[in-house]
Amino acid sequence: MGGRSVLSRLYGDPIEVWIRDDRPAQFVWRDRLYAIRQVQDHWVVAREWWKTSDTDPGERRFWRVEAGATTGVGTYELRFDTASGGWLLLRAWD
Amino acid sequence: MGSFVHLHVASAYSLRYGTAFPPALVARAAAHGMDALALTDRDGLYGVIKHIRACHAEGLAPIAGVDLVLGPRERSRGKGSHGGGSQGDGSPGKDEWRIVVLARADGWGHLCRLVTAAHHVGERGEPYVTREMVAEHARGPSGDARLTVLLGPRSDVGHAAAGQRDDEARTLLAAWRAAVPDVVVEVTDHYGYRDANTAARMIGLADSAGVPAVLTNAVRHLDTTDHQVGNVLDAARRLAPLHVRHLEPSTQAYLKSGEEMGPVAARVCGGDRNRMVRLLAETRHVAERCALDPVEIVPLLSDPPGALHLPEIGGDPVPMLRNRCDDGLRRRGMERSKEARDRLAAELDIIERKRLSGYFVAVAGITDMIRDMGVRCAIRGSGAGSLVTYLTGIGEVNPLEHGLLMERFLSEGRHGLPDIDVDVESARRLDCYRAILGRYGEARVACVSMMETYRARSAIREVGAAMGLPPHEVDAVAKAFPHIRAKQIRAALTDLPELRDSGLNDRSLETVFRLAEKLDGLPRHIALHPCGVLVGNATLRDRTPVERSLLDFPMSQFDKDDVEEAGLLKLDVLGVRMQSAMAHALGEIERVDDLRIELDGVPRDDTDTYDMICSGRTIGCFQIESPGQRELVAKLEPRTMHDLIVDISLFRPGPVNSDMVTPYLEARHGFRRPSYAHEELREPLRETHGVVVFHEQVLKVIDVMTGCGLSEAEKARRALDTPQGREAVRDWFVPLAGERGFDPATVEKAWKILDAFGAFGFCKAHAAAFALPTYQSAWLKRHHAAAFFAGVLTHEPGMYPSRVILDEARRCGVDILALDVNHSGRDWRIEKTGEPLALRVRPGDLEPGGGPATEPDGERDPEIGRGYGLRVPFSAVRGVSEAEVARMVAGQPYTSMADFWERARPSRPVAERIVEVGGLDAMYGLRPGGPRWRPGSLTRRDLIAQVGALDRSSSAGVAARRDATAVQLPMGFTEQVIPGELPEMTEAEVVEAELAVLGMDVSRHVIGFHEELLDAIGVVRSRDLLRQRNGAEILVAGVKVATQTPAVRSGQRVIFLTLDDSTGPIDLTFFESVQAHTAATVFGSWLLVARGVVRRTGARAVSLRALHCWNLVDLDELWRAPEPHGGIAAVRARLDERPGSGGGVGGRRIEYDNGYRLSPYSDIGPTPGVRDAAAFLAHPTEPQRRLWHASSGSSGPTRTRRR
Repeated sequence: MGGRSVLSRLYGDPIEVWIRDDRPAQFVWRDRLYAIRQVQDHWVVAREWWKTSDTDPGERRFWRVEAGATTGVGTYELRFDTASGGWLLLRAWD
Repeated sequence: MGSFVHLHVASAYSLRYGTAFPPALVARAAAHGMDALALTDRDGLYGVIKHIRACHAEGLAPIAGVDLVLGPRERSRGKGSHGGGSQGDGSPGKDEWRIVVLARADGWGHLCRLVTAAHHVGERGEPYVTREMVAEHARGPSGDARLTVLLGPRSDVGHAAAGQRDDEARTLLAAWRAAVPDVVVEVTDHYGYRDANTAARMIGLADSAGVPAVLTNAVRHLDTTDHQVGNVLDAARRLAPLHVRHLEPSTQAYLKSGEEMGPVAARVCGGDRNRMVRLLAETRHVAERCALDPVEIVPLLSDPPGALHLPEIGGDPVPMLRNRCDDGLRRRGMERSKEARDRLAAELDIIERKRLSGYFVAVAGITDMIRDMGVRCAIRGSGAGSLVTYLTGIGEVNPLEHGLLMERFLSEGRHGLPDIDVDVESARRLDCYRAILGRYGEARVACVSMMETYRARSAIREVGAAMGLPPHEVDAVAKAFPHIRAKQIRAALTDLPELRDSGLNDRSLETVFRLAEKLDGLPRHIALHPCGVLVGNATLRDRTPVERSLLDFPMSQFDKDDVEEAGLLKLDVLGVRMQSAMAHALGEIERVDDLRIELDGVPRDDTDTYDMICSGRTIGCFQIESPGQRELVAKLEPRTMHDLIVDISLFRPGPVNSDMVTPYLEARHGFRRPSYAHEELREPLRETHGVVVFHEQVLKVIDVMTGCGLSEAEKARRALDTPQGREAVRDWFVPLAGERGFDPATVEKAWKILDAFGAFGFCKAHAAAFALPTYQSAWLKRHHAAAFFAGVLTHEPGMYPSRVILDEARRCGVDILALDVNHSGRDWRIEKTGEPLALRVRPGDLEPGGGPATEPDGERDPEIGRGYGLRVPFSAVRGVSEAEVARMVAGQPYTSMADFWERARPSRPVAERIVEVGGLDAMYGLRPGGPRWRPGSLTRRDLIAQVGALDRSSSAGVAARRDATAVQLPMGFTEQVIPGELPEMTEAEVVEAELAVLGMDVSRHVIGFHEELLDAIGVVRSRDLLRQRNGAEILVAGVKVATQTPAVRSGQRVIFLTLDDSTGPIDLTFFESVQAHTAATVFGSWLLVARGVVRRTGARAVSLRALHCWNLVDLDELWRAPEPHGGIAAVRARLDERPGSGGGVGGRRIEYDNGYRLSPYSDIGPTPGVRDAAAFLAHPTEPQRRLWHASSGSSGPTRTRRR
């Protein structure tokens, strides 16, 4: 499985993501456009609803993707929060 | 290719795991257009019958399976042997090693036996299977596959694959294939971290081994939002706090549609379209070969039912039953009665057509056996309506005498199987079970189970623990709630006055309550049903999985409904405490008076007994002792068995709420002429003066009006339960009655009767079966009062705590004899205390011809128990063990304290308690009360000091020798206690000790200590209530005896409170308008003063409408406090306070279609006398420590405040 042993860098930057066929297709991070070539993994984690008073605090959907920009190809972990509707770039192996 | 089929589905019957009930899952599958659905609950087949019935109704093919834990060897094999493995999350717990086993089309019996074997091999509640066990059950006689094994991500194979140990996974898979003919690999993807990767690996493994792979969704929920409940259950199951580390992500584990499963298939196949198609096709194949025939497993789905599974009785059952009935005709002296012969022929005809002769023969054999064991046994329920049960000796109620109909029990049109219920002595119930098991063998007999579900208290406990609250706090919060549904928790906090002011309503508990509500109604525990016993044949274990109950009885995983649907016959053997109480009484009469009484043969028309009942002196009697019943019997004035049958039938929520009682009483006492809708209805309704009371009358009315016959009428009656059913019956009834020539007005009137009372009537056979022990208990009380109370105190059959029974005994003239180490027994015993009065022998002499000092009018207590005493037993002492009691009894008589200590070997606290309540008074001539200091004479406190000395000396080295020979060595020293060194106990201290140690005031009534205050404020005593005029406002006081919140007509929550002031009971009614300022006091105090308005409800019946109440202890404190803050004036001022109009009880009334309304907080539990057997089983010998009865109601505001 791709890149678990390689050191990754943590970011947590808000990004903009375009969706095609229910999956991310490209995103913009630090003013650079990345085209997603392959989804390596996708998983979903429910929020810790018992810590909030919301009846449904939603879930977080993680995508680990191989994406390329003009500078080269790398692996990136994106996170979508269903409650806020926002995307973050969490980690990068590049 | 057909639709997707879910092969791995957990319902709520996967305890602390699943959240949806089988019918809901099936309905959802049907809505998704699926044509089959599996149910594979964890550890058992608890929900399968319901699943199959739901599938049959929705037109789906049912598939049944089970999700079982793997054995210790399978679990260790996969773990860590290859190093590396699953990093991060540690090694998976036992719960994480599981396989799913499905029954193939002809494999139901094999599945049942595998589940039984899994429970047999594991600890109770922790079943598991090994590969060898599965292999043993997986094949039919000719080696054909009967079970399909799904090796999923939780299997040993799956764990190896997830750990990337592919060689090991391959080896394990090969081992499974070698052992079991039908093995498939199961892949699942819940979108968890690496789920899809593991699934892809397993597909690769399956392909390389040439094993089919199937896709499941390992379903736990109906909808994705249910995962929150799932999280709470995860925490509860793992006994861990709610934290991601302990939870199983399950947002995706819901019953997805075929369309939603498409993307899942795509993910696990890595987008390989062909592989996807093959995966789904293989899934479909498994579904097709595992589709079961619903009727084969659930015979009652077809009409007439499929094969029933009757016991083998060694011969052709038809002539056997006929012979027994003919013998019965002769034995009961009915052989010349044409009525009896015709009725018998009709009953046998139906029984034989339904092929049920064997059942009756078997049941008669069992009741014979029970009686031969010397156990009292009585029939209950609709079975009493059958002449066959009377003739075969199963029951003692003659249906012809009371006009009982068999159709209510067994009829041509009745769906389902007849169900014979017998009551036995509660203390011998398990002996009866063992005898039945002994006769038929474990392979043929199993007890029925029942699922206990989450209610308010249990749900709060579960969630409180999951949220990590301290246990004692959780306990206090849970106990503050009455026995209500979990769903009602938050509503109750605002609706009920006693909770509103309790401090529970703050934010910190909000989450606990919100989560607890989510657990509402989910099964949480499987328990032995209180009475059901399955009596089957050698194939029983092919029909039902069997596990062990807590007491090690074989127990079916099916509940009573499922058992019937599965075509298994059961006999209900219910333990009834009153039967034990009466057996005890009869034993005492024989022991002390040398009189053998054949209770079933006692004449059933004894005037003295009915006189006592009519005067409402029924505390202790079966069925008629509650405050409401005491009021009803006093108004109804029963004089015959029939009257008792009517009385019992009327005292139900239905009749009370639809006000059938008043018209009946008016007509009975001649205030109103009975009216009949039509002359032809006179016959069926005459016995109850035109009011429909019994189901049997409903049948007769329907039959008279339509001519449909009683069997058909019974079908219609059953339909009256629901609004839709009533609609349907009306559409059928009205035209048919018209055709029979009844005019429309009559038809309408008759219909109105059916509409109003049809669903409420009571089965007369049932009431008749109850009336017999009711009468018998009253007869015993009237003629052998002391012995009767000994039975009641020993077995506690009723609603009242011991101290109330003791008080009643005292009022009946029975002497209460203190605990005495030389005279007490294990249980309550009677002793002669005076010369037995002549009137004992011939009780008929008592009333009219001037028996001494007895007046039957209830104004003065007829001392029906005079000449006898009740001796407090050792078992009443708090904390005493069975073994201690046995030693104390065996060692009698004792000569000294030291002798008692040495030979009975009580624990120190028990010995101290025995001294405290006077157990050695007689031996040493102690007389507490009077002067406290008595130099030179021994006191109870001196003896308590001696217990300490004895204890110290025995622990100082002599302990080892205590068990050997009774060496007196150190005793000479310790017996040197200086008499009078310590003060004697006062009378108040004595009563206090009695309440603490025995749970009852033996020497004198506890209210006695407050006489002075009560006189000062002018409290009216119970014995003077009858002299109060209607409408008078008075003060009363007493010890709380009972609180009840039953269903009443207005839909209010009404609290009924019974106080006892040593002269008799006082009944008070608290309506909602006063509950705001009284509820907390009513539920939270023991000694009360109340102000109320007198309401005369009959010649001898008085009750009070309560206005206000106070805790007597608080008033007493105030009275004793110095002026001006205390003293009598302050007490009077407190009593004169007029409360403001606070809020009453909230909550939406539950409204029934016929207009009767019910408070959501009414208590509609079982009738008193039918005690919760589960609770009894939990503590079979633990003496009761409650001081009052609280059938419902919260225990009041808790003292634990959260700040």
